[in-house]
Amino acid sequence: MLPVLYAIIVATLFPFALGPEHALLARIAGGVVLVTVLLAMLLALDNVFRGDLDDGALEQMLLSPQPLSVLLAARMLAYWLVTALPLLLVAPILAYMLGLQPAVQPVLLLALLLATPLLALLGIVLTALTAGTRRSGMLLSLMLLPLAVPIVIFAAGAVGAAQQGLPWIAPLAWLAAALALALVLAPLACATALRIALDT
Amino acid sequence: MNAFKLWYHKLGSPPYFYVFAGYIQPWLWTIAIVLALLGLYGGLVLAPPDALQGDAFRIIFVHVPAAWMSLFVYGVMAVSAFIAVIWRPKMAEVLAMESAPIGAAFTLIALITGSLWGKPMWGTYWTWDARLTSELVLFFIYLGIIGLYHAFDDPRQGARAASFLAMIGAVNLPIVHYSVVWWNTLHQGTTVRYFGPSSIAPSMLWPLLLMTIAAKFYYGASLMGRSRVALLDRERGKDWVADEVRGGDVHG
Amino acid sequence: MDRFLAMGGFAMYVWPAYAAFFVILAGDVLATVLRRRRVLRELRGRLARQGPRRRPRTSA
Repeated sequence: MLPVLYAIIVATLFPFALGPEHALLARIAGGVVLVTVLLAMLLALDNVFRGDLDDGALEQMLLSPQPLSVLLAARMLAYWLVTALPLLLVAPILAYMLGLQPAVQPVLLLALLLATPLLALLGIVLTALTAGTRRSGMLLSLMLLPLAVPIVIFAAGAVGAAQQGLPWIAPLAWLAAALALALVLAPLACATALRIALDT
Repeated sequence: MNAFKLWYHKLGSPPYFYVFAGYIQPWLWTIAIVLALLGLYGGLVLAPPDALQGDAFRIIFVHVPAAWMSLFVYGVMAVSAFIAVIWRPKMAEVLAMESAPIGAAFTLIALITGSLWGKPMWGTYWTWDARLTSELVLFFIYLGIIGLYHAFDDPRQGARAASFLAMIGAVNLPIVHYSVVWWNTLHQGTTVRYFGPSSIAPSMLWPLLLMTIAAKFYYGASLMGRSRVALLDRERGKDWVADEVRGGDVHG
Repeated sequence: MDRFLAMGGFAMYVWPAYAAFFVILAGDVLATVLRRRRVLRELRGRLARQGPRRRPRTSA
């Protein structure tokens, strides 16, 4: 629940920083919610392998007869369900509070529905790479944020286009294509990354 | 072909590479400096001021080579990183990891000179122009790779993890660039072309090419120097390192 | 010479750009030189400590 609380706090700070002017907040609402959700997911990312690494469960996974990538795919799904799904539930509320037009809400939700699994997949691959290091919080953001730029651009681009009454299907189609690709590749990449980082 | 293969495999052995790098390094330096001096003379003195930009266009002779090198070094690093992850030869790890700081340096130069060029041209040091933005993202990717490499205690493990990150970044870079260009058109970007297609004058072109080639040779020279130190550091227990430290070549 | 340095009024952009180019690359070279010195100093220290013991083994 911590990421949700974090997202609410960050989103609340924007009106205080920018002033309660409705037109301005409505214009930036989509982008603020997207960036807030991304940061909240980043916050939870550091702990994905932490517990398993400390109690040795990760070594068991590496040695188990099941393919590592399948186990990691389950891990990724669990992370998305626990971290991203609650964020998806509060995101429309935050967007509404910031004054996003109701007509754009479905587009924002769809964009988040495509962007959050992508971020989860990419983020967990990178987290696996840092599994062998001691402190990785700041490093993880440095690694993830540049790679997340296209996701943010396409997701926010779709919301922005919908706000202006323009067609918004194309950027979401790109996200969907990327997601389909990542669903196949990310577990494999994650298995490789984990083997590299733990040197097995 | 066979002789080349033999040489290639020899080059993969650290002591042989150390000697080879030490041998070619002065040549790379000499070529880089001579070409840079010629290019600077041609660019700063011989080339006439640009009709539109006056003398401000002369920044091109440092900006464009640095921007090209920031991508070229990434390409070399990504190929070495790929080899390092798949076949795990020690030399590929060293070359990939020692390329990263040089690439980051060129990216930083491209950013600084680009914004210094932007001020007289666009009236501002920074604008979210597609090229500057991509270059900034590239800089962060370089920093992430360097940071990940140093986060591990074991340099070999760190090199392999950072190499994997470099590969992910290589896949992502074209996507970043494409998305940034799309984002720029979406928001009626301020993209200003430095010069139209192929309208570049020959008096400008040859110093630019010389500076670019000089930068490539500089990269080679710096990479050789960096790799030699990295090898000494990594192979510290080995006999050839002990011989090297006892021997005469300690100042180079 | 003054006209050359003035760069047609753009001196305050052109020269810092060239300075950035050379200073950053010089920093890259300097970092390597300093690292080489440090590594060699460490290695010499190690050898001085191990030297007497190590010598017969390597010559054998």
